[in-house]
Parts: sequence; C-alpha cells; structure tokens
Amino acid sequence: MKFPLSILAGSVVALALGTAAASATDIETATGAVEIDRTPKTIAVYDIAALDTINALGVTVAGVPDRLFLPELQPLARTAEVVGTIFEPDLEALNALAPDLVVVGGRSARQASETARVAQTIDMTIDGTELLDETLARIETYGILFGKEDRAETLAATLDEDIAEARAAVEGKGDALIIMTNGPKISVYGPGTRFGWLHSELGIPPAVDDLGAGIHGDAVSFEFVASANPDWLIVVDRAAAIGSGEQNARATLDNVLVRGTKAWSEGHVIYLPAADFYIAAGGADATGRILKAITEGFTAGK
Amino acid sequence: MPDALADTAPGTPKVAPNAAPADRGPLLRAHRRRARLALAGLALAALVAAAISMTIGLRGNIAFALELRAVRLAALVQVAVAIAVSTVVFQTVTGNRILTPSIMGMDSLYLLVQSVLVLALGAAGFSALPAGLTFAGEAALMALLAAALFLPILRQRGDVVLMLLAGVVLGALFRGLSSLVARLIDPNTFAIVQSVSFADFNTVDERLLLPCILLTLAGTALIWRSRHVLDIMALGADDAVGLGVDWRRTAVGLVLVVGVLVAVSTALVGPVAFLGLLVVALAERLAGTTRHAVLLPAAALTGVVLLVGGQTVLAHVFGNALTLGIVIEFAGGLLFLVLLLSSRLR
Amino acid sequence: MSVPTGLHPSPRARPGLRLDLAAAIVLFAALVVASLLVGVGDLGGAGGLQLLVVSRVPRTLAAILTGAGLAIAGLVMQTLAKNRFVEPMTAGTGQAAGLGILAMTILAPGASIALKSLAATVAAFAGTALFLALVRRLPPTQPFLVPLFAIVYGGVVGAVTTAVAWETDLLQYLDIWTNGEFSAVMQGRYELLWVNAAIVAAAWWVADRLTILSLGRDTAVGLGLNYAVMLQAGLAIVALVAGVTVATVGAIPFVGLVVPALVARRYGEDVRAVLPIIAAGGAGLVLACDLLARVVRFPYELPVGTVLAVVGAAVFLAVIFARPRQT
Repeated sequence: MKFPLSILAGSVVALALGTAAASATDIETATGAVEIDRTPKTIAVYDIAALDTINALGVTVAGVPDRLFLPELQPLARTAEVVGTIFEPDLEALNALAPDLVVVGGRSARQASETARVAQTIDMTIDGTELLDETLARIETYGILFGKEDRAETLAATLDEDIAEARAAVEGKGDALIIMTNGPKISVYGPGTRFGWLHSELGIPPAVDDLGAGIHGDAVSFEFVASANPDWLIVVDRAAAIGSGEQNARATLDNVLVRGTKAWSEGHVIYLPAADFYIAAGGADATGRILKAITEGFTAGK
Repeated sequence: MPDALADTAPGTPKVAPNAAPADRGPLLRAHRRRARLALAGLALAALVAAAISMTIGLRGNIAFALELRAVRLAALVQVAVAIAVSTVVFQTVTGNRILTPSIMGMDSLYLLVQSVLVLALGAAGFSALPAGLTFAGEAALMALLAAALFLPILRQRGDVVLMLLAGVVLGALFRGLSSLVARLIDPNTFAIVQSVSFADFNTVDERLLLPCILLTLAGTALIWRSRHVLDIMALGADDAVGLGVDWRRTAVGLVLVVGVLVAVSTALVGPVAFLGLLVVALAERLAGTTRHAVLLPAAALTGVVLLVGGQTVLAHVFGNALTLGIVIEFAGGLLFLVLLLSSRLR
Repeated sequence: MSVPTGLHPSPRARPGLRLDLAAAIVLFAALVVASLLVGVGDLGGAGGLQLLVVSRVPRTLAAILTGAGLAIAGLVMQTLAKNRFVEPMTAGTGQAAGLGILAMTILAPGASIALKSLAATVAAFAGTALFLALVRRLPPTQPFLVPLFAIVYGGVVGAVTTAVAWETDLLQYLDIWTNGEFSAVMQGRYELLWVNAAIVAAAWWVADRLTILSLGRDTAVGLGLNYAVMLQAGLAIVALVAGVTVATVGAIPFVGLVVPALVARRYGEDVRAVLPIIAAGGAGLVLACDLLARVVRFPYELPVGTVLAVVGAAVFLAVIFARPRQT
C-alpha cells in the first residue's frame, strides 16, 4: 500500500501552504481544541446543523451531502457540489473538490477519519443535553474561523433573544412529554436523550422523571402517556419531514387515552418542525425556528 | 397434504451430490479444455473489470484517487474470493448446490457475535481494543460457534429440507437476538454494530484490510490444498469414508475455515445474502464442471467480475444512486428465482 | 393420509384431544387474564374501568385476532403452495404489504392510516398472487425448492422496499411501523383486525374444500372442486390477513409457520379438525409473546415481532430437531 507516502506528500504541501496562509487559530470542536488556518476558502460540510449555521453566516459552502433535508437549505443544491451522503462521503468527489476544510458532525461524525484523508476535518457534533450553549458557541467559533464575527454576533444575539423568549414562555406552565410518532406508533424522549435539551436548557420539567435515556426514544403505549398525564405534549412526526404536515401525528394521538390528559384537554399540544428538530437541531436558523414554535405554542395555549 | 415435514425419513428425494466426472478419454479432455477456456475468460474479464474500475473517470488528485480505488479494489477482491470459496466449500460439505453460508444464517451469526461483544465490553472497551485483534477474536469466536451450531445440522446431511429450514430459522433467530441486543444497549453504542449490518461496498474499514487479507489468504490456501479431498467429500459422507477420508474431522475443519471467511466478508462489507449463491451457480455453468481445482478459482473470478464490475457500473453509470448491497440483493435474488424456475440450477 | 371427511378427526388424534383441550382452555384463560392485568396504567384508580375498556381489552383482542389470523393465513398459504415451510411473513406477503405502506406514505403523505392499510392489503394481494403463480411453475418433485424460493422472493421484494425507503430517508420510519408491536393498540385503533376474525370464520366455512385443495389439482377437480375459485379465495385470505396485520400492528414472523406445524404433527391434516386448534394456538402464542414484550423493559415496550423472531425461531428449531427421537 502506498498510502503513507501520499500522506507524507500531503502534509508537506499543507506545511508549505500553512506558513504562507493567514494566521492559524485554535478552535473548539467536539473532539477538543484544533488548530486551523483562518478563513478557509473551499469548505465541504456533511452535518446539516453545521451547514445551517455556516450558511446563515453568509459563508459560501462548496461541498454538501446529497440530501439537504431543510427547504431553507435547498438553494445550496444549485450552487454546491454533492460530495456523498451524510453516512457515506464520496471521497473521490471530495478529493476532486479539493477543500481546505471539511466539517462533520452528528450522524456524519463517524466519517471524520475518512474525510480527514482528503482535507483537515473538524467534528462539530452538538450534544443533546447542552444544545443551546453549544449552538451559541459554534456560531462564535464559525464566526472567528470564517472571518464573519459581526454576522455571528447578530446571529447569536437573535438566538439569545429567542432563547430568552422561549424560557419566559415555558416558565411556570407545567411539565411536558416529548413524543415522536412513526405512523401509528409512538416513542418518548426524556432528559438525557437527543431531545433532552428542551428539559435541561429551556427548563421545561419532564412529565416522567426516570425516563430511560435511549437516544432513539423508547416505544411506549398510549397508557404510558395517559398515566404520565403531562401538562404539555411536544410532538414531532418522523414522517413530517417529507411533507405530510402535522395531521398524521394529530390523528395518531387523537384517541381516548391521550384526550384524557391535561395537555390534550387544554389544547396544550405543540407540533415541532420535524426536520429542524430531528435532523438540524443545533443549526442557528433551525434552532431559532424550534424555539419560536415552542414560544408560540406555550404562549397561545395559556 | 404432501407433508414435507414428515419426509425426514431416509429415502427423501434429495439433491444429488455433484457427480464425479464419469467421462473418460477424449470427452474428459474436451471437458478439461472447456474448463481451461472458462478460467482464462473469467480471468481476463476480472482483469478488465479491475482495470476499468481503477481508471474510469479519474479526477482531482490522481494519486489519492488511485490509492482510494486500490484499497477498495483490494477489499472487493477479497470479499469476492472469501464469499466464493466459502460458498463452494459449504455447498460441498452440505452436499448440495443451493445452500450458502448466508442463507444458513452465518452472517447473521457474525452480526450477533459482534453485538454481544459490544454489549459485554461497552462502546469504549470495544473501540479501545486494536481493530485487528478484536476482529481476529470475533472471527475465531464466529468460526467456533459456526462449527458448533452447524455441524449437528450437517449430520442431517441427506435431508436437505431439514438443513435448509434449520439454517433459515437459525438466521432469523440470530437477527432477532441482534435486534433484542440493540434494544438493550444504548443506541449510540449500537451505531458501531449497525455500521456493518447493511452491505456497504464504498467505505471499507482500512484497519481491517490487513487482517482480512491474511485470513482470506490462509483460508483460501487451506481450502486449495484440500481441493482433491473436497472432490471426494462431494460424493457424500459414506462414499468419502469408504475412500479413506475422515469425513467428520475434515468437515469440522472446513466449516471452521468457512466461518472465518464469512466473518472476513461480513466485517468488510456487511451481509450479502445472494452473492455466494449467484457466484457459484454462474461459475459452475461457465466452467461446466464441479471439480474443485476448477470450480474454486472459477467461482472466485466470477465473484471478482460481479463485485468489481457491479461497483464500477453503479458508481459511474448510475452515479451512486443505489447501493451495491441492495442491487445485489435484488438482482441476485431475481436471477436466482429465474434459475430456480428454469430448473437449470443444477 | 386418510381420506378427509371433514367430520371426524383422524382416529389417532382422538384420545388426547379432550385433555389437551381442557389444558389449552385453562392456559388461554390465564393468558387473557394476565394480559388484562399487565400494563402501565393503574387499574385500581378512578379511570380503571375505562382503562380496561379502552386499552387492555382492545390490546388483548388485537393479540388474539392477530395470532389467530396469522396462524390461519399460514395454514392456508401452506395449503395453496402445497408446502409446509411457507407463511405470509417470510414469503414476500409481509414485505409487499410494507411496500404498499411506503408507496402510500410517499405518494399521498396525508392519507389516513386506514387508506394505508388498504394499500398494504392490495400490495400484499399482488405480492402473494405473483408468488403463488411462480411457485406453481417449480418442479413438484422438489418440495424444498418452495421455501427457498419463498425466502428469496421475500428478499427481492424486501430489497425493493429497502431501496425506496433508503432513498427517501424513511427506513427507520418503515422499520418501526412494520415491526410487529401492539403498543399503539387501543379502542379505535385495532378494529381493522376484526377482518381476521371474519377470515378465520371464512376459513372454517371452506375448510373441507381446503383439505381437498391440498390433495392437488387433479384430485381436487376430480372431487368436484372449483379449483380456480378456491385458489383465489385462499389468496384473498392470505393477503387480507397480511395487509391488515402489517398496517395495523406490523409484521410478526413465525406464527404462521410454528403453529400449523405443531398442530398438524399432533392432530393430523384434516383442516376442519385442526382449524380451531390452530387459530387458538396462534392467538395464545402471540398473546404470550406480547405479555413478554410488555414486561421485559417495563414501562417501555419491546416489539412483539422481535420477541417472536426469537421465541418462534427457537420453538421451531426445537420442533424440527426433536422430531426424529419422537418417531
């Protein structure tokens, strides 16, 4: 195998470029501090949340995965090269793009070692329990990295406002249960899961304290929902990302047992934007939309 | 009702073991020439497929792209050889040409072994172990389990229905247990296991390449050395024993090797149910013989042509729109159904 | 094989039957009571009665209807395919039903679950019809080819479904929907499964004709059976059960394989004699596995499809390997 040789060649080139390029900086990633040359020109992004934030900063992204999930990101499909999927980077396409920096995270994080063979790769995974803090930290980091500090400050300020509004809106409104619907079946998510930040960071008390910490949620019966009897139901429809709206989730939940809960009888059911919540949580714009949905839901259903 | 379940008594219409070449003289020579021609043709096709897969549509940093393709080619060739050889041996030991290690549930067994190891060691423990070592351990465990589980089934050698059924059911049992384990370990940990539960020919774990190459080479060499014994084993247990072969010991040894080869291919690309079936059925018809000295290389070469060719076509004609694993499952299954229907499988 | 009269079970089966029946009734009753008592909600509370009516009774009924339906569908499919080793969930019917749901989800995302069930049934019918049409072209001298064909056929249909689900990022959604699970069952959510009850009744009605059908086309026609009509009827039975079950609770493997095999070994081949036993056996098996699924990770649920993949497979292996020693 010849690969040590080409890695050597690659690092020599990188070294030569490094001395000539703009100042290097330490940035915080999911795997610790990493030194990167500032303002990389050509960027490939595999993580939808990162893509959302970087796009919101007005940075041109050259390489994207084949599915962008969010309608707000669709314009990128026309301008950027497709460099594989979230789960499976197309290293040849990436190599042809010759990016200065590759950003992975979340579902694509495991591919970091693969893409690192083409270009420097940073893992910007955002964890479930401290999602908001990390989202803000990422905005700042990307701002410094791409030389968009001003835009980053504006974004962070907007998000801060959204967070404050959401916290105020949920304050003292009672507890909530997070439910995901898959066709006729439901699963629940508690603190410590990928949706746990609603509890830990927005301060919505969980309706059930000892909910198991399965990242994919645990299958439960409607009896479970009835006996949890939450004040609020926060619902995400797994299939809504492909355009069925919320009526399917509503139809699934609209039954005698759920109707008997405090949440349903008082109209305290909030349907979150599915793709934002399920795939892009941690992206600056996507998180903003989730927070607005929370604020609206909790304010409207007084 | 024609009660197949009750038909386990001796005298069941069973698949005839591969007939030994009964031909003599000029006929035999003609056969030999055909086999040589088939092998040469397959070798040429494999070389062409490999050459095309290395050179088509190169762009960007050529050295890097070539290196990338070389690694993938190595993995594909290895998987093709491992699957082809293990399927041929498995079919000979079980005495018929419709069984494969995959259909008998051996790759599900590998996935189960891996899930249970992750469950026992935890994600950190599992990742901390050196990849080569973990894999070698898994392969060994897999081979032992395979021998322990499949030999009792193999003893029912004459009864294809029972064997087939037991294998299929074992496969389902292993898959069921794997998904139970999946529910018991936290899903992030399970992601490690899940990455191999779908056939994926694009991203190959390079850390596994070296141990896999070594194991494939060793396994293939062992089997190649036993090619004449395999010809005798194909006659059936009784005849083989009559001809001085220690059927039991040889069968155990061979199944151990098959277990290791299945572990190799499953670890590299995931389960591919119909590939082995397809490869051996095609190779047998192309070579026109069941002699292992011909069948083994013919099957391996057919595997290389199918995998490398298929991968190249998907990547460069269909732009990676489909994954090779699903296409093999579909096309291989379909072709196999056609073969069954036309009754020309054997 | 004795000539089936449809009225008298084969003589060999007679003596044990009554005792078995008593034991089975007791066991079945125990399962039903347990199923009514086990669940997350508190029966002793104020809404206890409502809980029983709205959740426990439907769930218990759903398990019974599903189990009975699947076992009978298995029996019918085995009669049609003239082979002991096929059942809807492993011979492409279940996979086709999944494809129907997937197609409906993509083409008409807003469609109700009832409409999706209909799509599942239609797809299951088409899938099974194609399977049977193909199976009849297999050489009849090689019975083991049929299950092999069935598995490969199921794999091919499944590959199409997986490819489409993969492309549309619906793999997880489809997996969860079509893996058998009773967690979502409650009043208003399982009533489609009563179709299974109607089908068990229909199967009982045509039981003698099914027995004759199993003797083969020539014998059946010779005995005055309208072979084509019976074939269509059997097909409809299998497809309806599979479609309704997959759409309502998901696929549950092995019930259709294990139960008819066990029952036939003990009580013989006469369809009318064994039909109630098979239906009850399927119901009991699914009910027991659903109970297991409810308690193993309480208060969360395991998919009963997964439980049965393990339990059903183990039972089946035990059955086939215990055979030689028994006879």
